[in-house]
Formats: sequence, C-alpha cells, structure tokens
Amino acid sequence: MPSVGRNIPHDSARGHVTGQSKYVDDLPFARNELIVDFYWSRVAHGRIRSVDTSAAAAIPGVAALFTYKDLPGQNLFGPIIQDELLLAEREVLFIGHPIVVIAADSREAIRLARNAIVVDIEELEPIFTIDAAKKAQWHLGESRTIRRGEVAAAFQEAEEILEGQWRCGGQDHFYLESQAAVAYPGEHDALIVHSSTQNPSEVQEVIAHVLGLPINKVTVVTKRMGGAFGGKECQATHPAAIAALVALKTGRPARIVYNKDDDMQITGGRHPFQNDYRVAFTRDGLITAAAIDFFSDGGAYADLSTSVMGRAMTHADNAYFIPNMEITGTVCRTNFPPNTAFRGFGGPQGVATIENIIEEIALRLGRDPLEIRMKNCYGVDDRNVTPYGQPVTNNTLPRLFTECAERSEYYARRAEVARFNRESKTHLKGIALTAVKFGISFNTKFLNQANALVNVYLDGSVQVSTGATEMGQGVNTKIGQLVADELGVDASTVLVMITSTEKNNNTSATAASSAADLNGGAAVDAARRIRTRMTEVAAGHLAAASEGELTASTADIVFAEGQVYDRRSAGRKLKFRELVKICHLQRVSLGERGFFATRGLEWDPVAYVGTPFRYFTKGCAASEVLIDRFTGMMRVLRSDILMDIGRSINPGIDRGQITGGFIQGMGWLTNEELRYAESGMLLTHSPTTYKIPNIQDVPEVFNVDWIDNATNVVNVAASKAVGEPPLLLAISVWCAIKNALSFVSDGKLDAPATGEEILMRLANQKPETRN
Amino acid sequence: MRNQALLFINGKEHRVAGAEAFDTLSNYLRYTLGQTGTKIVCEEGDCGACTVLVGRPDSSGKELTYRAVNSCIQIVGQLDGTSVVTVEGLAPPRELNAVQQAMVSCHGAQCGYCTPGFVVAMSALFETRDRLSEQEVRDGLTGNLCRCTGYEPIIKAALAVDGSRMMRARDLYPSAPMLETIGAHCRDSLTIEHGERTLSAPVTMEQAIGIRSERAPVIILQGGTDLGVQANKRGLRPPLLMSLNGIKGLDEVRIDAEMLSVGGTATLAALETAIRLHAGSVFSPAHGHLAELANILGIFGSPQIRNAGTLAGNIANGSPIADTLPFLFVMEARLELTGRSGTRVVPINAFYRGYKQLDLEPDEIITRILVPLPPSGSEETLGLYKVSRRKDLDISSFTAAIRLQTTARTITAASVALGGVGPVVLRMPSVEALLKGQTITQDLFERAGQLARREINPISDVRGSRDFRLQLAENIFRKFYYERLEPRREMREA
Ligand SMILES: Cc1cc2nc3c(=O)[nH]c(=O)nc-3n(C[C@H](O)[C@H](O)[C@H](O)COP(=O)(O)OP(=O)(O)OC[C@H]3O[C@@H](n4cnc5c(N)ncnc54)[C@H](O)[C@@H]3O)c2cc1C
Ligand code: FES
Ligand code: FES
Repeated sequence: MPSVGRNIPHDSARGHVTGQSKYVDDLPFARNELIVDFYWSRVAHGRIRSVDTSAAAAIPGVAALFTYKDLPGQNLFGPIIQDELLLAEREVLFIGHPIVVIAADSREAIRLARNAIVVDIEELEPIFTIDAAKKAQWHLGESRTIRRGEVAAAFQEAEEILEGQWRCGGQDHFYLESQAAVAYPGEHDALIVHSSTQNPSEVQEVIAHVLGLPINKVTVVTKRMGGAFGGKECQATHPAAIAALVALKTGRPARIVYNKDDDMQITGGRHPFQNDYRVAFTRDGLITAAAIDFFSDGGAYADLSTSVMGRAMTHADNAYFIPNMEITGTVCRTNFPPNTAFRGFGGPQGVATIENIIEEIALRLGRDPLEIRMKNCYGVDDRNVTPYGQPVTNNTLPRLFTECAERSEYYARRAEVARFNRESKTHLKGIALTAVKFGISFNTKFLNQANALVNVYLDGSVQVSTGATEMGQGVNTKIGQLVADELGVDASTVLVMITSTEKNNNTSATAASSAADLNGGAAVDAARRIRTRMTEVAAGHLAAASEGELTASTADIVFAEGQVYDRRSAGRKLKFRELVKICHLQRVSLGERGFFATRGLEWDPVAYVGTPFRYFTKGCAASEVLIDRFTGMMRVLRSDILMDIGRSINPGIDRGQITGGFIQGMGWLTNEELRYAESGMLLTHSPTTYKIPNIQDVPEVFNVDWIDNATNVVNVAASKAVGEPPLLLAISVWCAIKNALSFVSDGKLDAPATGEEILMRLANQKPETRN
Repeated sequence: MRNQALLFINGKEHRVAGAEAFDTLSNYLRYTLGQTGTKIVCEEGDCGACTVLVGRPDSSGKELTYRAVNSCIQIVGQLDGTSVVTVEGLAPPRELNAVQQAMVSCHGAQCGYCTPGFVVAMSALFETRDRLSEQEVRDGLTGNLCRCTGYEPIIKAALAVDGSRMMRARDLYPSAPMLETIGAHCRDSLTIEHGERTLSAPVTMEQAIGIRSERAPVIILQGGTDLGVQANKRGLRPPLLMSLNGIKGLDEVRIDAEMLSVGGTATLAALETAIRLHAGSVFSPAHGHLAELANILGIFGSPQIRNAGTLAGNIANGSPIADTLPFLFVMEARLELTGRSGTRVVPINAFYRGYKQLDLEPDEIITRILVPLPPSGSEETLGLYKVSRRKDLDISSFTAAIRLQTTARTITAASVALGGVGPVVLRMPSVEALLKGQTITQDLFERAGQLARREINPISDVRGSRDFRLQLAENIFRKFYYERLEPRREMREA
C-alpha cells in the first residue's frame, strides 16, 4: 500500500507525548559550557555615548563580555537589504537592540552582569507610527506598484465609489520554544551550532560573515523547533551568531536561550498595516476598479519587509477579478524591532483589506456580501488573470464558494442571524463567508530550489536528509512518505534525519508553505535515481534467475510493498533488502543527491509583473459569532472550512495545519493585541497579557474538509501546500464580527477586534478618544 | 525538626535541602535531574507547558490524589510530602498510556513543545474518570496553550481516550509505601535554610503562629500562584517563607444551611468541588448564589491554578481584580484571623485600607473565610461578572457583583461591588441607595449604571482603557437587568 495519502502519525509523535523529543535547551550541558545572554537597549532610538562593562567584568562567574568591536568579521548583515547591525555601534534603533554580549557560568551571574553594565544613551526622537514614518519619509526599500487597466477612467465612469482606511495590528509569533542556540567550538576555528531555526543555511552564512570565517568552517544543525511560524526564518540568526561569537572567542560551548518576555520584546512579528483604499463598483456590486495603497510598519531594519509587502500586494485581489487595479506598497521604517516573516507573509494583510472592502460594498448596497463575493470571483474560462499578469488556472473558487455556502447552510443562518438581532436585547450575532487564494512559491525566484540526500543501507533501511526543518508542520513525515513510495518500501523503514548544513548546502528557508514541495521534490529525485540504478540490477538479476524465461527489461520492474519483481513474472519476488545487497556486491551506488527547482516561474521584481507562483491553494470559510452587547466579549459559534489542497499526502497532518492556521489567524484578528508604553516598550510581553487563543476559543462547531481535486499535476504527488493559506480563512471570523456590528453601527472595524474594540464600537465611540 | 523536604518524583524518593529547595520544580526537574520532558515557556503559570501531577493524601489519608499543577511557579520545598509525576513517568519505559496513544493517533502534537503539558493535564482528567464530554475536555485543558494545532486535534484525542484502559498515576505508583514514608518523615515540622533564606512548614497552628510572630515578616507561601510569579518575574526573594500545608484540617470546606466556611489553606479547586457536591435545595437562594460563585470559579485561572491557588491567597494578595472579592463583598463575608493574641473576625468590607493595604497584623494568618448564606424562602438575586480580554485563563479587566433582596418587584436591599475600577474592590453605596426601595424597571438600572459610571475613576492600563471600564460599569447594570430581572425572559444564549 502506498504511503502517500495515508494518515500516518507525525514521525516525532511518540517522542513528543513521552517528553523524549529533544529541543535545543534539552541538550545536556557540556563540561565548561557558558550561558550567554546580552544587554539590550531599553531606548527605542538613541545615540550611544559610552559603554562601561568594567563592573560587570568583575562579577564572579562572568567569563566574557563582548561588544561590536570584538566581532572578527562584519557587523552589518541582512537577508535582502544589508542594513542591520548585529551589535549596536553608535546608534540604537529599537528596544531590544543587542549592545553587549555576556557569557557567564550561571544565570545568576548573567543577571548581575546585566544590571552592572552601564550604557549611556542620548535619547533621540523615536518614530512609532506609520503616519509619523510617512511624514518623515522614513522607509525601507523602494515603493512598488502593480498596475493594470485604466484605473482613473474607471473611477470617472463609476456608478458607486467608496473610500476609506483600514488598519490591522501586529502579532507575536508566540512559538512556545523561544529563540535558542548552542555553539560548540571545534578544531581550527570550526564551529558546530545547534540552532532552533527555519533556515540553517542563513544562520551558517551569517555566523561566517560576522565571525570572518569561510562558510565551510560553520556547521549548523537543526533537529526541530518548538514552533516557528516565520519567527525563526531570519531572527534565529541573532542568538546563534552571538553564541557562536562566544564559542569562537572563549573556546567553550556556549548556550543562549531567550526567556519568553525577552523574546516577545526584542524580536519582531507580523507587520501592522495601514491601507488607504478607493473602490469603484456598479450598483449591482461588480467591482470595476480599485486603488489600494499599502503601508506597513517594517520596524527598524529591512529584514524581509520588502518581500512581505510584495506578497501583500500580490494578494490584494484575493479571489476577485478586478479589471482595473493599482496597488502600491511602501514599507515604513519605525523604531520597533524589525518585523519579519509570519505565516501568511503579508498575504493576510492583503486579503483582509479586500475582504473588508467587499463587506463595505455590501453594506453600501444593502446586499449580502456573499453575493458580492461570488459576483466578483475569478472566472474559470475568462476574467481569470491577476493584476500582475498570472493566470488563475484550475480555478476551483466558484465551486468552493457554492459548496461552502451549502455545507454551512449559510443562507438560512444569515436569515436567522438577522432575526436574532431584531429580537435579542442582550446579544448580537454575525455571519460571514470569505475566501482565500494563496500563491505558492517564494516570490523571489532563486529561492525555489532544494537538494536532498538519500542513503540506502544494507538492511534496506533508508535515511533521507534535506534542508527542510521540522517545526511541527510534519514536513519530515511527508518527505518520508514520498521517498518510501518512490522505493516501494514501508514508510516505517525510512528515517528523515536531522537537518544539517553538512549534508545539505545552500538551502532555502523552510517557509512560504513550500518546504514539502521543494524538499519533497528533491528527495523524490534522489530516490528515483537510486531506484533507476537498482532497477537495472533487478532486471538483470531477475532475468538471470528466470533461467531464460525472461529477458532483462527495466520497464517491467516494479518496486512495491518492500519487494521488487518483474511484472511479467510477478510470482518471483526479491525483497527490497535482498536487492540492496545485490547492488552493493555489484558495486552499484546506494546513495544519491537529488535536486529540485520549481519550473515556470517568472517575476520582474521591479515592475511587479509575471508569474511568481507555481499554483494557488484555495479555500472558503463561513463563521458565525455571538457578541455580548454589554461587555463586548465575543465567541465563535461555528466555522465551516472547505479547501482545495490538491491530493493530500497526509490527511491528518494537513488537517492539523488547517485547524492550527485558522485558530492562529483568529488570534491575530481578535484578541492578540500588542500594547506599548509611550517609550515604545512592549507591555504585552507574556501570555498573562498577550492572549493567544485558548482551547475554549475553538469554534463550538468546527467543520473542516477539502474537496477532491487531483488535478494539481505541477506539484509533488499532486498535493498542494497547506501551511499558510488556512490562516487567512480566519478573516471570516473578523468579517462576522463586522457583520454583527453593522446591525447597530456603521460597521466600521479595525483589527484586532478585541472585546474592548467591539464594545467601544457598540458604544459608538471613536477609537481615537480612548486611552 | 527536619531540614530536608521529602518528595517522590515518578516513584523515586528525593530528599532536597539547601539551594535546590528554593529552586522551581521545573528548573529542578530539567537542570538538576536532567528530565527535560517538562518544558518551560512563560514561567508564570499561563501556558501549562510545565504541567506535572502532584499527588497529595486524600481526606482518608490512605490514597494519593493527583492533580495537575504548574511546576514553574512551585518551589521544590513547597512540595514536601507529595508525589510528583512528570511526562516521563506517565507510563513504563517504551510504553504509552491511553492519553499518549490517543495524542499520537489523533495528531494532537505538532511541534511538540506544548505536548508534555497537555499529556499530563489530560492524564490528570482521567485519574478519576473514564470518559469525558467535549465541554469537560475544554474546561479541563484551559490551562494549556498550544500555538500549532488549533486544539481541535487535541479535543479529538481526549474524546477518543478510553479511561478504563488508562494506566493511572495512582496505579503506577502505589500510594501505600509512599504514604508510609511521607507519614514517618513529615510528622515533624520542616525548616530549610539556605544563605539568607528560610522555608518553614509547621505542622500545628501554634508552631505557625510562633514562627510568624517570632521572625516577622514571614511570608506565607500557599499555592504560590501569586508569589511564584513575583519570584520569577520580579525577582522577589523573601528571606522567610512559611507553608501551611502541613497543618491538618486547615483546608476544610464546609457548607451548611447558613454558612459557607472555607479553611485558610483550602484551594479554589476544593471550594469548587465542595459547591458542586453540595446537596442543597436547588430552589433556595443559597444554592443559586453558590452556583453563581462556581461559575466564576470555573473561569478563574485554569485547573492548574485552581489546584494550587487558595481562596485565602486571593484575599490576602489584595488585588483589585481578584475574582472572588466582589462576591465576598456583597455577601458580607467575614475573615477569621488568627495571631499571637488569639482570633478575631473582620468583615471583608473593612479589610482593605488601600491598594494592597490589609487589616492584617504581621503575625496573623487568615484561618477561615465565613460567608453567610441567605435563608431559604428569601427572595434574592445575585449576578457575578468577570470581563477579561479572553474569557478563559485571563486576569479580569473588570469585575462586578450585584445582589438584590426583593419582595414582589420591590428592592428591599441592594449590594454592589465593582473591581478593576479603583485601587481596591469598591462597594457602591450611592448606587445601592438609589436601588433600595425602588420597583424594578429598566429605567432604574439605566440610572444605576450611569450613576456607577460617575462614581468611579478607573485608570487605563494594559488590560483596558479608562473609557472601556467606565462603559463596562455602566453596562453591567443593564446586563443584570436584562438577563436576571426582565419579566419577559429574554432569549439568552450565553
Ligand atoms: C496563570 C494565573 C492565572 C490567574 N488567574 C486568576 C484569576 O482568574 N482570578 C484571580 O482572582 N486571580 C488569578 N490569579 C492569581 C492567583 O492565582 C490568586 O490570587 C490565588 O488565589 C492566590 O492563591 P495562592 O494560594 O496561590 O497564593 P500565594 O501566591 O501563595 O500567596 C498570595 C498572597 O497571599 C498570602 N497568603 C496566602 N495564604 C494566606 C493566609 N492563609 N493568611 C494570610 N496570608 C496568606 C501570601 O503571603 C501572599 O502574600 C492567577 C494567577 C496565575 C499565575
Ligand atoms: S512555563 Fe508556562 S505555565 Fe509554567
Ligand atoms: S504542538 Fe506546537 S505548541 Fe502545541
């Protein structure tokens, strides 16, 4: 039986439930090991006048203190734009900017040293809002534009025009395992670094870069992460580089583990956006033109912000064909920690913007928003090209809308919501059905490549190594299944190994939902090459054994169920492991390196036209909420999710991505609010005050399903990526809240829609008057 | 006198003295014993990743009863006389218990970092039951956060567990031999010293008062759900700590027709259980009031917090957003305080003198909380409210209690207490006066809300703005009216 399509448990599940799975901070302490931390700026913007570490150096147990001056290599780095200083030099640009690295024998010594370091900073005017950054023209990268059609003319001829501004807040990743790394010094300046990172190759390169080492001296190893969600794509490099610095300089193993409060305060998260829109439409609700100006808060350094903006812009159309469209994107620079990748990568902000616009159009016209959505939905045969020029092929959106509405009994429940709201004096209900069309591939073309190493051992067992990193999403389980099927063996005989730059070089981040696509593709390529060689041997062997009955024919050799046979004589079977032995004796290689590069991608990174995505993952969700009119507290009564995820490699794992993504998105749009003090210091820096969804927040009725669609032949095993898209379906919850409010107010709503936000809207107070 | 705490960890006896006794249990497990299955995330009781089972002798003294607690806010010395079971000890090596099995097959773990905590918390639920309803699963796992799964697979896993095939902690680790050792060892009071710090655990009230009066200021460390957080997050290191857990009988909860009486070391979970087991007449106002309290306890922290935290601790911590206070205020609860010069009883309404300023002498201990219950046949309505950003496992932004005594539809007495709107929980005499003697109408409660709004002066903080709190104070009277008093019963969904 093939493995692909089966509901196999996560390959680490047993370890997880017994506590045996190891994370970075579970590694036993080595003799001599140092604990590392750093002194970070408490000032959001300032000029460093002096740094005095003498008192700290005198504290017993303190082994070393380093500033930027101690870096043997380059301090300046960055994934896209090289604008970031690992250790602050003359200026601090955000609260959390590392200034002095501290290495000590104990946490207590670190704590004392941190308090004993004296940094004199002259405070400068900070920038904390998108408006202030716009005014100061403080940007990261260049503004970009996507343009199609005759926007100005369409507005001139418009029957209806709406304009407005929509804002959404940031979000902390709240991975449970905070940033962590341990660096072990090796011989001749070599280092082995265990890092909780989505991107071992980037960590490796940055360490080499800041320490002035050739890349081959640095090996980065990632067993797994206790959650990442984009937060360990770039920002895992800082702790790893700092630990590596200490290991190199002191010759002692060095461990750094952020505590949760520090992690939340000093690392960036999802980008807040503030978007201005104008939309033209007919009295029937057909959108004729839209102009959207995106402004994001990038924080102090570029990190991935320009790329995140690109995805927001390419998702501003979402499921809807808008013939005339102009989308601009500008990343504003502020004195917050650099914002970075977060599941959805700008997509959620882009999609939420257009979904809000649709709700507004429906309110204006007094129509059901679903009618507006379906009317404007991308067509199957026409009206199916995105504003940036990529055709929407294999378009299942119309079907998803119809089926999701049916399964969720949308129309009947919408009527019931209206009836309820007329009668209830204590509560309000709202309902909404929204869609997602999420482009799969890195927007940056060259990143769409991967390599894999497959080794077959003499007992027939198999090891696979790729650049994919495991953060719970089950990529290793899926890769194991793919390789097992390629070799016709049981998935239990295939082990996916720890990720290491020693085995897989120059890899891309595990990100953009495409780790299984890319690394799975590479692993299949490697396994296929091994199978091809084994097929030769098998054909010869089986022919010889048939005593003249068969001629050797590779085309007839079958690998299945751990056995190999010639289909013309299926009775005579070789065990896979017997064939392995035979190959070995015949000196045929049983190891291979595979490679994969996504085909068909073209993207002009300046003009913003082309085909940046290999395909789209799509879905719809209908959600209903109940709001207490007196307290603003909100509950999700029911959500129905229907997706097109192609043919699932592992239904259990994919389902978990959908439920997990949806709930995470719900958190972003409802209760997760980052509140800051006037100084720019984050106040909500722990789960006491930063409220991610709890088990009680899961919709009371939660239906998750996907349609049968095996037509996605462009991807491995006809599957589709599923990591990020479901997060955007939580926009249905936010729209349902907006829908509820629209019964008693103008329906205006920003995100997150906290209980406070909801109550103040109910009380008809302008949000500006708060605080 | 002993200077070593005794505890069992996964059945193995540990004696702990010195610095380690003051370390958190989670640190001790991970960094001293190298048992890294227990995870540390928030170090403040708010995520559940560090959940372990703690077994204490039940009322018969013959069995250990296991409950889930947060090991990050418990110090090792506090666990003297207990049996701790961690994720590593839930099943024999290479085996899985029924919960672990279900979590594997239902994809209840993704990144796995929350998983040990979930598995332990879920196993705790099956210590006493064979099957759980979905609501029981949700209520039982409120103390554990997961960022990956969206919880749905975890709920599925819990529903799939057949508890009759469950390897339970109390079966895996036979109570009798452990209880024998504990009984022999913990007969004497405990005093652990390390550097400047001392932890004592007396076994009689006399000893306790002796310690508290001789060596003031001695800080009572009970559940540690407030003190443990302050230690981890604000570096609080009180030199003298005393746990009252060794004093037998102080944890008693009693309910009779006139009185709810809660001992000084009774946990919130014990209080909740006592209310649920109490067999009063369902039609009596006392029953209604206790049910109302049970609802508030149901959204107090998490199971882990309620298993450790005490009512006395909630009162003594003195926070203006302590969830039990509005109830205690409007019920005119009395506190029995025991100190060097004996026992005195103080009305709770006179106990708070200012922000965290209590009418409690340094040598005094809250030994009992007395809540008079309304007589049967009286006409009473009580509404208790907690508004927080997230309904569950959250600290309140605003709390309220409204209690009315009525004849027909005339209000004969009214008590109102609001929390989160000032430095202490506030009684609202002017609002009470407004309500008293009036006939119940919608307009009356509109006016009561507006008056309450004018009377308070809340601040803006991380849990809500001033305007939000003003609006809530006004609205809560409307809510009370529509949900409790409106003659034509309003369609209610909440
Ligand atoms: C995650 C989390 C969630 C929480 N959620 C809530 C919530 O929803 N609502 C809420 O109100 N609170 C909440 N709390 C706060 C806390 O749990 C409660 O205040 C609890 O009742 C404290 O009890 P304790 O036994 O743990 O107190 P401890 O921390 O042991 O002590 C608290 C204070 O009380 C004193 N004290 C304890 N017992 C006595 C006594 N018998 N006599 C005199 N003084 C005494 C102590 O010296 C100390 O000053 C939460 C805490 C955490 C960590
Ligand atoms: S570590 Fe979060 S509750 Fe203990
Ligand atoms: S599985 Fe990752 S936090 Fe729960």
